[in-house]
Amino acid sequence: MNKKSALLIAPALALAAMTFSSGAAMAADNGTSTFETNLGAINGSNATGSVWITLTGDQATVTENVSGLAATFNGAAYPHAQHIHIDGAGVCPAPSADTSGDGVISTTEGGPSYGKIGTTLSTSGDTSDKAALDLAVAGMGASYKYERTFTMNAETIASMKAGKAVVVVHGLDPATLPAAAQKEMSDLAPTLPLAATSPALCGTLAVSQMAAMPGGAPGTGVTTALAPTNASTSPDVAWFVGGGALVLAAGGALALGRKRTVAAHKSTVAK
Amino acid sequence: MLAASAPVSLSVPDIGLTTPLLSLGRDAKGEAEVPPGEAGSPAGWYKYSPTPGEQGPSVILGHVNTTTIPEGVFYRLHELKPGEQFSVSRADGSVLVFGVDRTEIFQKASFPTLAVYGNTDRAEIRLITCGGYEPSTGEFVENTVVYGHLLSSTK
Ligand SMILES: [Cu+2]
Repeated sequence: MNKKSALLIAPALALAAMTFSSGAAMAADNGTSTFETNLGAINGSNATGSVWITLTGDQATVTENVSGLAATFNGAAYPHAQHIHIDGAGVCPAPSADTSGDGVISTTEGGPSYGKIGTTLSTSGDTSDKAALDLAVAGMGASYKYERTFTMNAETIASMKAGKAVVVVHGLDPATLPAAAQKEMSDLAPTLPLAATSPALCGTLAVSQMAAMPGGAPGTGVTTALAPTNASTSPDVAWFVGGGALVLAAGGALALGRKRTVAAHKSTVAK
Repeated sequence: MLAASAPVSLSVPDIGLTTPLLSLGRDAKGEAEVPPGEAGSPAGWYKYSPTPGEQGPSVILGHVNTTTIPEGVFYRLHELKPGEQFSVSRADGSVLVFGVDRTEIFQKASFPTLAVYGNTDRAEIRLITCGGYEPSTGEFVENTVVYGHLLSSTK
């Protein structure tokens, strides 16, 4: 549990006084809305994931964490094509969606549930449906974090607001398919095995109850950087000063070294 | 579940805590602001989360320690046990009683955002502080999250 005995004692501050009041309930920042979904396993992938999207105008920032996906394909990191599907029923396919009865819900068979591809969650370049099967810009490997800001097309935005946008991550481990299905070719790309393009994770985007999703882990421990041997390395002094309802009284100087404890943001897919 | 009203104070008798609540926003990096670090500083409500009593995860942040003494406002938060109760007073005069569901400890490096801040189908609350102080780096490497849900309210 918590190592209380070892708490670091930091310098006292020249803080004269402070007053505060409770804030009012807050609407979202300047027309920003947030959508979120937990990704559930399809086709027995046993993978998990979560996605949240901050949308301001047509600028979308997508943050995604996945784990437990197929790790390798032909000796390289397994490419997981990932999309926001739109204009279907807005749900993830049930086992009954497997109309061919081969034991695998193919991307086509899932179509009536989650709809067509509205946006490709590519790691760079095109985010339209034209990039849907570009495996070079797919998510890579068993687990990854994806974060990207891009201009989202109007169709995807409309579908998301209507509760009909579904995040689908594709790519199964072929060994987990029934024997006959392992020999089938993809319904989308005839040169690829069925496993490569079939859905592995799925979740319907819903409006978040958070008007704005906090990034990273909360910095609720007061820390100071250890005295650096190189004196030019100053601690991060960016801090909360009157940003909310907190008002510092005149004469109060707030200069606290608070070192950031986490840097969880990455601009591209990273292991 | 209740209509929105900002929280003004938090009382957790089982750990001897009563604190006013600040209103906390987001910093330039999009991270939740935290209260000041001085001894005696209150906890705060993250103002972009639901207010306590509304549907969803209302988020209350407090420091585990302070700049001068070890005992921050949420110094004893980790002691809370499932079934214990605490209360939140709101600006509309209501007093809400919450029950503790569980406590979880997360590594900051893999903080599960939606597991803590994701949508819920009832009025819930998260009391969050830090833990896992690492003397070699001067950093806290964990967050302690107490999950609770609304039991009753009076006005
Ligand atoms: Cu897809």
